[in-house]
Amino acid sequence: MIATVVSSYPKIPNRPSPARLRNAINRFDRGAITEEEIRRIEDEVTEEALQQQAEAGLDLVTDGQIRWEDEQTYLARQLNGISLNGLTRWFDTNMYYRQPVIEGAITWQKPITVDDYRFAVEHSEKPVKAVLTGPYTLARLSVDQHYGSVGALAKAYAGALNREAKALQEAGATLIQFNEPAILQHKREFEQFAGLCRSLVDGITVETSLYLYFGDAEGIYPQILDLPFQLIGLDFVMGAKNEALLQSAPFTKKLGLGIIDARNTKLESVDEIAERIRSLAAGLASDQIHVSPSAGLEFLPREVAQEKLRRLAQGVRQAEAVLV
Amino acid sequence: MTKGLLTTTVGSFSKPDALQRARNQYARGKLSREELLELEREATRDVIALQEDIGLDILVDGEMARGDMVAYFGELLPGMELGGLVRSYGNRYYHKPIIKDDVHWQEPLTLEMWRFAQDLTDKPVKGMLTGPYTIVEWSFDEYYPSRRDAVLAMAQVIRREAQELEQAGAKYIQIDEPALSTRVDDLEMALEGMAVVTEGIKAKTITHVCYGDFASVYPGFLEMAVQQFDLEAANSNYDVADMFTNGTFPEEKEIAWGVIDVHSHVVESVDQVKAGIKRGLEILPPERLYIDPDCGLKTRTWEEATEKLRVMVEAVRAVREELGIE
Repeated sequence: MIATVVSSYPKIPNRPSPARLRNAINRFDRGAITEEEIRRIEDEVTEEALQQQAEAGLDLVTDGQIRWEDEQTYLARQLNGISLNGLTRWFDTNMYYRQPVIEGAITWQKPITVDDYRFAVEHSEKPVKAVLTGPYTLARLSVDQHYGSVGALAKAYAGALNREAKALQEAGATLIQFNEPAILQHKREFEQFAGLCRSLVDGITVETSLYLYFGDAEGIYPQILDLPFQLIGLDFVMGAKNEALLQSAPFTKKLGLGIIDARNTKLESVDEIAERIRSLAAGLASDQIHVSPSAGLEFLPREVAQEKLRRLAQGVRQAEAVLV
Repeated sequence: MTKGLLTTTVGSFSKPDALQRARNQYARGKLSREELLELEREATRDVIALQEDIGLDILVDGEMARGDMVAYFGELLPGMELGGLVRSYGNRYYHKPIIKDDVHWQEPLTLEMWRFAQDLTDKPVKGMLTGPYTIVEWSFDEYYPSRRDAVLAMAQVIRREAQELEQAGAKYIQIDEPALSTRVDDLEMALEGMAVVTEGIKAKTITHVCYGDFASVYPGFLEMAVQQFDLEAANSNYDVADMFTNGTFPEEKEIAWGVIDVHSHVVESVDQVKAGIKRGLEILPPERLYIDPDCGLKTRTWEEATEKLRVMVEAVRAVREELGIE
């Protein structure tokens, strides 16, 4: 059983610890430090995120998306054909992102996350997964002035992300994850979504996963089991109905159990976590399970996120001891 | 002669630089509470003097003591505390409050500054509160079994504060619920909370809502248990007027009509504002129509705010004269 995260890790600690990245960005914006210096601090904070995930006891980590402004901008601003608009609320959270505006054909020019991935692998004691925002979510959260439909735009994003995934694969990535929360808000478009997924992973031979959060999969389950990913992650915090869905049809892929609330500071107990894993994973082989928070961790203060991860890892070990 | 087209503002003014610096020093423990309070009082004096000089009818204290409309309550309320830093966007972080325990009212939260402001003027000063739904929605909740439970508990707290303001003599109490637009499905819960807050309150109750948000919760939002809706109108070219063309606005309620765009440096012309006021008069008669800027003025410098408000007051006077009202 694998203890892991979904994507982001909080970028700065609380006072009195110094908020190095925040201070560095302020200084960079004022022209007080160079591009080189800010990249160095991003690297150091990334190392810190990798180290803290390992210390918490996770088996599989991410680079914490320390360099990402948000889940859209970091990818969108490095693709051709896109400019960035004002701030918009990200789903129903209290976080805001810059809305990508599609002004022309989207083209992939060069790897966006490959150097980040390589850096993380070099500096992590634990295996690292590569994480990308999926084409449907990117399309849904963009303003389209070029393609004329969400479907056409998503297809263009899928083409670009396929190039990125291939570059990650060439760089040695062993697991590439795509986050697609938006499809849970637009389930009627699932058929189109399934087509997108096929072009997204075309030519990808390493393991891939799809994470669906901020809701449940009712209405698209068990269809999601036909999607071309080896692992599918579900949100059992905001998607309370997912538990019943697992009973309705056997889960035939690796299962991502998002069971720690990534959007509330209330701490789950280790026993509670272990029990939750045992009841949800009943009937599945232990090595088919990835356990994680329900979404990225940037909605929480860092210290709370750390404590949640420690308990998550302990809960996984406890559940494992019983299941095996 | 009938009275009408009373002028007011939505609530906030920008903080003077000295106060902003003092707040940062206080946060780092380099300034005492008493020293900060003195600067807050000084800024409040200036804000009241400014509004009197411009000639507004209903004043505000400018929220010189508040950083954020939710954190302010989170810091003071028993049962709540400020949590660690959470990012809101880009390089911006805030201390998101946490509901740790049963929330309850213990002592006045906003009364002191309201009273200070009211003692400086003969004009009425609005009491300013954040609605229970917004406080809950913009906080972590580690205590209540459901969000509805949390909202109803918070409603009792805000209700008690509204009663305190009323007893102290507040004639207008504004209770804002900006979080509502995020989850339209929560409208019922927010309406229920507000009904608890305002039940039995004799002071005029008001809620402010921005245009985009209002459109997303229209028309259910009109059932909210307040007597006055304070609407952003100028920034959306008065589109909101079209929503009420079929007499859909509740008979017994009032509107505070936003005629000044707070997001633009450009100062409106008197004619522009007069035209805006007249759009409002298509919906309601002058005794039920109040005139104010679209939103809080904290996005503008005091110079810009002053210029804009002077134009607003001049336009109101001209329209009053045309209509023969006091």
